[in-house]
Amino acid sequence: MAQSQPETDAIRITGLRKTFGEFTAIPDLSLSVPPGSFLVLVGPSGCGKSTLLRMLAGLDDPTAGEIAFMGHTVSSGAGGTLADPRQRNAGLVFQSYALWPHMTVAGNIDWPLKVAGWDRAARAARIAEVLALLGITSLRDRYPAEISGGQQQRVAIARTIAPKPAILLFDEPLSNLDAKLRIEMRAELMRIHRATGATSVYVTHDQVEAMTMATHVAVMNHGRVEQFGPPRALLDRPATTFVATFLGTPPGNLLPVRRQGDRLLFEGVDLAPAALAKGADEAFLFYRAEQVSTAVAAGRPVVQAEFSEAAPMAGRVMVTATTGSLRLSAIVETHPEARPGDRIALSLAGSPDAVFAVTGERIE
Amino acid sequence: MSHATPVPSPSGRRLLSSRQIVPLLMVLIVGVLVVAPLLRILLATLTPAGLTAWGDVLASAMSQNLWWRPLMNTLILGIGVSAGCLLLGGFVAWLVVMTDVPGRRLLGVMHTLPFMIPSFAAALAWGTLFRNSRMGGSSGFFESNGFLIPDWLAWGIVPVLIVLIAHYYSLAFTIISAALSSVGADLVEAAQMTGARRPRIFFGIVLPVVTPALVSAGSLTLAGAVSNFAAPALLGLPVRMQTLSTRLFGMIEIGQAERGFVLALLLIAVSGVFLFLSDRLVSGRRAFVTVTGKGGRTRRFPLGRWRWPLFAVGLGLALLTTVVPVLVLVASSLAPQTGALFSNWTLHFWLGEGGGQIAQGQAGIFRNSVLIEALFNTLKLGLVVALLSMVLGLALAHTITRHKGTILANALSQLAFLPLLIPSIAFAAAYIALFGAPIGPLPSLYGTFALLVIAAAAHNLPFAVQAGRSVLGQISTDLEESARLTGAGPLRRMWAIIFPLAIRGLLAGAILVFVKMVRDLSLVVLLFSATSPVLSMVAYRYAAEGFMQFANAITVLILVICLAASLVAQALQARVQKWKD
Repeated sequence: MAQSQPETDAIRITGLRKTFGEFTAIPDLSLSVPPGSFLVLVGPSGCGKSTLLRMLAGLDDPTAGEIAFMGHTVSSGAGGTLADPRQRNAGLVFQSYALWPHMTVAGNIDWPLKVAGWDRAARAARIAEVLALLGITSLRDRYPAEISGGQQQRVAIARTIAPKPAILLFDEPLSNLDAKLRIEMRAELMRIHRATGATSVYVTHDQVEAMTMATHVAVMNHGRVEQFGPPRALLDRPATTFVATFLGTPPGNLLPVRRQGDRLLFEGVDLAPAALAKGADEAFLFYRAEQVSTAVAAGRPVVQAEFSEAAPMAGRVMVTATTGSLRLSAIVETHPEARPGDRIALSLAGSPDAVFAVTGERIE
Repeated sequence: MSHATPVPSPSGRRLLSSRQIVPLLMVLIVGVLVVAPLLRILLATLTPAGLTAWGDVLASAMSQNLWWRPLMNTLILGIGVSAGCLLLGGFVAWLVVMTDVPGRRLLGVMHTLPFMIPSFAAALAWGTLFRNSRMGGSSGFFESNGFLIPDWLAWGIVPVLIVLIAHYYSLAFTIISAALSSVGADLVEAAQMTGARRPRIFFGIVLPVVTPALVSAGSLTLAGAVSNFAAPALLGLPVRMQTLSTRLFGMIEIGQAERGFVLALLLIAVSGVFLFLSDRLVSGRRAFVTVTGKGGRTRRFPLGRWRWPLFAVGLGLALLTTVVPVLVLVASSLAPQTGALFSNWTLHFWLGEGGGQIAQGQAGIFRNSVLIEALFNTLKLGLVVALLSMVLGLALAHTITRHKGTILANALSQLAFLPLLIPSIAFAAAYIALFGAPIGPLPSLYGTFALLVIAAAAHNLPFAVQAGRSVLGQISTDLEESARLTGAGPLRRMWAIIFPLAIRGLLAGAILVFVKMVRDLSLVVLLFSATSPVLSMVAYRYAAEGFMQFANAITVLILVICLAASLVAQALQARVQKWKD
């Protein structure tokens, strides 16, 4: 991404490392995104994504490495925090919203502007503007404790964007909302991103949020970036087994196979030629849910599994079945005539979508 | 039930009426315990004799001595103590909660202790050290060792201020530090993100969020200082420094009951005015519940090179207000001469036989039959009041929660919290007004153990109801209902679910009431009688007569009992927490 013109990167992270005593949260991380991007850091809890965000915000110092905003180094492991939050021109939306409980909605939005030294008229105009942008003008004189969770969320966003930061940081901002509000706020955040044009970094463990909102996604695991790129590219061509199974709804199927002669076998079922595994004795074959079917067709490998459930999904049916400890998902046209516990036959596509080494890296 | 007109199911009707019986009964009980004495004391001052007393106190040649000077002293004490406590308690709270001072946990625990030590213990310790010869009797440690102690440092308003601040600041500390810890790191970090610097974050965010706590800490310490009896009585009375509470005590003791009642009402009014004002000050934005939890994390500011000096200040303060007074009391109870606290130690004041040279031939406290009786009375009083308070508190809390929203429940919770606003010595005066004379066939209860128990239980009601509520809060209806769905009967549910969940909270609450009773003086001082002496009263009598060592020895005994009870409470608390994890 944009590596050819590093000066213009809105955010450039190089060789970043963060340890807490004995524990290494982030061993060595590098990333960069161009201005105006919407970068989503996604991964399971404890993967280091919030730690990374706090370092971007300037709330924690990196142990080693550098962070640069628009070509200016703001944090470095050698020099600590070089730029305090004011100089960073970044805003952070907290998971807890962190609304100051003793100030009204308008007061919460006003305070950062006051700190930034805006004059009264400009502040009043800006408050009215962001209140309108988020559709909360009627709440301006309420206290945080008097409004609902979704409204608090909007106030938190309004407060953060009011001083017009060049970089917006979000720490799992939607995780405290119910499902319906979450979808609503997702659209709202994208609208605000378009309206402000601020480069945004968004931390979440929800892969749907990542896929729908991002221009760039970094999938993180154990403090490392497993894969970085546009969401479509990650979906189409996962680089590791972790990415392949973490992204996508329903999750794809990862079948462990063993070489026998010149074929790859899964529990005795011949799936593909050994050449796919590039000479390895063991590998994972990756089939997307839409490559698995309940209809048995000639020439396609068939796996026996125990039916567990079927859920309607956008006009089709998502079937889940298990074999051993492995869960398999398939997207099919019609609801199978089976009850939980019944044996069903699942046929796989002629060739897998991807082949991964046992270590997790993609082979083919 | 045999109405011709169709009525809702009979059980529905019975439920309705039985639903009202319990709260009505509770209102009746609280009415007798809390409202009746207060009404009675008011009515007692509206009789011809009472009206004369109003005139004497407020508008006569005596009013200067009866009302204005004591009022002045009371106000100086209240405002001075409250200001001192906010500064001291606020400083320590900031140190412990908001900074990276070393030994934060140790400091936090130590600074909650001074409030556990009764104020008369601190006053006695002060006297032991700073007494001068002006009042006759033996002088204190410092003067005996050649330091000249001026009168203002030995007696009167200054030592009372110091002693009360040393006692009450830990209350302010507890309240303020709880509020400060609720200022989550996110709030501070959100302010940091705006680029605000430390002072601006402190004055713009932290201080306003804890303002309600500051106001309530200020008003509680003020109310405490205004109604405190022990410290002004021990350090002020010898130089005729009167406060409203010592005046009121004096009036009742010399039989001028009406004047005493008038002063009690005025004392209630004074402390009520301040509590009302503070309530107005924070009303509207009362408690800033920090929105959405996750507030466990707090942001600690680095102190840099001030870490150790500030730790030393914090530790020194804690030692001066806890260890030093206790040490002085212990040493003094063992040393024949206050000038030499740490030499010639003898157990005479504890165990000695009478008739010797020291202590005018008086025997040690454990040979004094009055003391032994007082010891048992004190334990009995503490236990009975603790039991009665918790039973009442649980019953009231249960009634209030089950009937939530009804007028009766609201009235009940308001009434139950009324004693919180009444200084305990004035509350005792009200009990004298109500039970001092026979009511119909009932004999006068004045001077009986029963009266002391009832008055104490009534004065502890606010605390007991609070404790009852928190106990009930641990037993969510879900828990009981899920047990019910298993088919367990009511008794079994009670035994297997409710009892284990409630017992520890109840015990902890009971122990706190017990400790409060054992070290109480201001309630006991009016209601106590010669036939049922209690320890704190005996200590006060000894001190008033100048037998400091005996007074100190008994105070040490009280401290030991309180400490033992607190340890039990702490052990229980730890077990509760273990199971919460």
